Amino acid sequence: MRKTIVLLLGVIGATLIYFTSATAYKVFRADLRPPQTPLAQSAEYRLVLITQELETPFWDKVAAGAREAAERRGAMLAVWGSYNNDSDEFLKKLEIAIHSRMDGIIVQGLDTDAFKELVKYKAASYGIPVITVANDVPDSLRRTYVGSDQFEAGRMIARQLVEDMGPQGTVILLRDSGNAYYQEQRLDGIRSVLGSYPGIELRYAEARGTREQVIADMQDLMNRSPDVQAFIAANANLTAAMVQEIGRRSRVQPYLIYSFDDSPDMLTLLREGLIDGIIEQSPEEMGRIGAGLMIDWLNGDRLPLDSGGYHTEIRLRKARDVP
Amino acid sequence: MNRIQNKILSLTGIVLFIMAAIWMTLTWYSRQTQEQYNEILQRYLRMNEVTGASQQTITDLNNYLIRPTPENLDQLEQSKERLRKAKYEVYALRNGDNDFDLTSYTNLIDSLLEAANRALMFQTQMENEESNAAFNEATRISRSISDMTLTLLDTELKTYDRFYRGIIERSTELNKLGIWLLATFTFLLLLFAYWFALSITRPVQKLTQAAKELSRGRFDQKIEVSSNDEIAFLAKMFERMRVNINNLITEIQQKAQLEHELQQNKLLLQESRYRSLQSQIHPHFLFNTLDTLSKKAYLEGAEETSDLLASVAGLLRYNLRRMDRSVTLYEEVRVLRQYMDIQSARFSDRLRFVEEIDESCLYVQIPGLTLQPIVENAVIHAVEPMEDGGAIVFRVADDGDRIRVEIADDGPGIPADKIAQLLRGSAQETEGHTTGIGIGNVVQRLRLFYGQDDVIDIGSRPGAGTKVVLRLPKVRRYEADDQRTDRG
Repeated sequence: MRKTIVLLLGVIGATLIYFTSATAYKVFRADLRPPQTPLAQSAEYRLVLITQELETPFWDKVAAGAREAAERRGAMLAVWGSYNNDSDEFLKKLEIAIHSRMDGIIVQGLDTDAFKELVKYKAASYGIPVITVANDVPDSLRRTYVGSDQFEAGRMIARQLVEDMGPQGTVILLRDSGNAYYQEQRLDGIRSVLGSYPGIELRYAEARGTREQVIADMQDLMNRSPDVQAFIAANANLTAAMVQEIGRRSRVQPYLIYSFDDSPDMLTLLREGLIDGIIEQSPEEMGRIGAGLMIDWLNGDRLPLDSGGYHTEIRLRKARDVP
Repeated sequence: MNRIQNKILSLTGIVLFIMAAIWMTLTWYSRQTQEQYNEILQRYLRMNEVTGASQQTITDLNNYLIRPTPENLDQLEQSKERLRKAKYEVYALRNGDNDFDLTSYTNLIDSLLEAANRALMFQTQMENEESNAAFNEATRISRSISDMTLTLLDTELKTYDRFYRGIIERSTELNKLGIWLLATFTFLLLLFAYWFALSITRPVQKLTQAAKELSRGRFDQKIEVSSNDEIAFLAKMFERMRVNINNLITEIQQKAQLEHELQQNKLLLQESRYRSLQSQIHPHFLFNTLDTLSKKAYLEGAEETSDLLASVAGLLRYNLRRMDRSVTLYEEVRVLRQYMDIQSARFSDRLRFVEEIDESCLYVQIPGLTLQPIVENAVIHAVEPMEDGGAIVFRVADDGDRIRVEIADDGPGIPADKIAQLLRGSAQETEGHTTGIGIGNVVQRLRLFYGQDDVIDIGSRPGAGTKVVLRLPKVRRYEADDQRTDRG
């Protein structure tokens, strides 16, 4: 009897003490301090990458490349920007970056006066170096440009067109109304190839603004040129609307459609076989080289930067190459 | 000697200590938590302060640009100072996670101040357009600051999200801990108090039990209390008292025993005297008659008869006189010789008596009428019934610290059970004894006189005779007994 009672008391006591100490451990174990990530060395550069198209596969790759390079070189890099080519927001971010006195700004070029003014005067007055990536604006006094050689890209796509279509035919070049430098470069490249084929007729379609507008313009153009055989979208963002319009009135397959890869829809379209080829750029390399050059420049390792730009690799990717 | 008090004090002390420890820990803990909350709040308040200060700066700048009075300028300077202060405070909040944003943030504040200064400068130079541009820029920057404050707060929340959740979790755990602590503490305290009470009451119970035993008259059980407080002391005293009482009782019992033995001794003596009185009906008449007979025999020329009669008279006189006192062995031997003279006359050739006596041993004290009954017994059993008579050998020899007295005969012997009976002193056989004193009486008196049992031994083999051996101590153990015997 006595033994049972002692055993019972022992069990109760052990249980109580166990739970008490377990709870006490839980309460006191946790670090009472808020998580403090130690400050990195103050010599680090603060870099920012600003784009108009956040969270697209293309720009994600650019950002990843830039981040990787920055991390390797011990610099901090933030990715800012706007969504869906919202240029107002984009410019605002750029201005904030300048006002925040970043050590260096890597930016997707926007060929507008506001952008040029910001880079030319504002950034310069704060002494902030600016490097454009992917899209160049050469007359903005940016330090350099890192990205594809758009002229060469235009030539490459034109050569492919000739190869696929032959030296005869009508080609529609779709462009937007912005006259952005990179777009002009591409068109120049295309023209420089196709110009030597007298059998090829070029027609220009200019998209103004919205998607509906693009579709309307396309309708108009296709009504006027029923004999068209190939389309080239100099601005990748217009491609999806264009393909949709073509698909609405006839089968898409017979047409040769070419574009560039700097729009999120391109890979899907290519995979579905709706377009025949795109120029594939090297976004990761752009980011990596851009951030690397910026740090080089800040360190004074490479002075001056080649204002002609540093070109990254471009490849032509055809629909039949895609699994 | 104040152990119980100590126990109570230490119990109270332990309880107080544990309570104080818990209280202090909890207080310390809540202080820590408070500080954390303060720190967190401080962060948010500081960041918010930047927004407020920057907006205030813009407002004041605007006021001044519209109405450039010294008061407004003063106001503007104040809010700029406030903004600068807020900047320094917020700069102190940098850590690895928000370093980038926070540096941008403080730089934005610098830019804002710069833009504001530029607006002021252009204003004084009367370049209103430039001034307006600068003001617009400042406004934009201020807006950016507000935006960035939100971003920073958001980052902050993200960074500290787990920490905050941890705090909430911990506070619920703390509540649980409180309950558990209360339960554990109550349990332990109850247990401890029970044990403590037991440590006091158990010795008391033991003591009570012991007292009960004593009151029932059982003094032989040891009282043991295995604590180390006053109760133990009490028990020790109690034990000592018990031992004392026990000793006293034993002593009383021994005395009673002695008293009893003394009484028996007296009874034996009275019995002897009574028997001797029986045989001394008219002692003086008998003595006078015997004397007369002795003289007459002597006158008639029968000298032998005269001597014989004188021996009988001497023997009878000794018998009456010496019964109740100690005598020397020498006297005993003398009486024995007189007795043997009488017996020799009676049995003539049939009785052969041999003496071997060490004369130096005869000083020893011995109860009166010891040897005569033994020899008489030998005569009765070993000589009288035999046709050819018998021999009796009487020896006295020195035997170390004792005197060895032997009375041996060559009679038919005594059966073993009879010997045992004799040595136990329970045989009441007096037939044929002159003095009315039997062997049993002698055995008992010898033992009482010397205070030891091995003083007499009887050896016998059927047909080979009997040998009674007395080993008399040269020094008596109880001299006092002698006196008491004298008085009786």
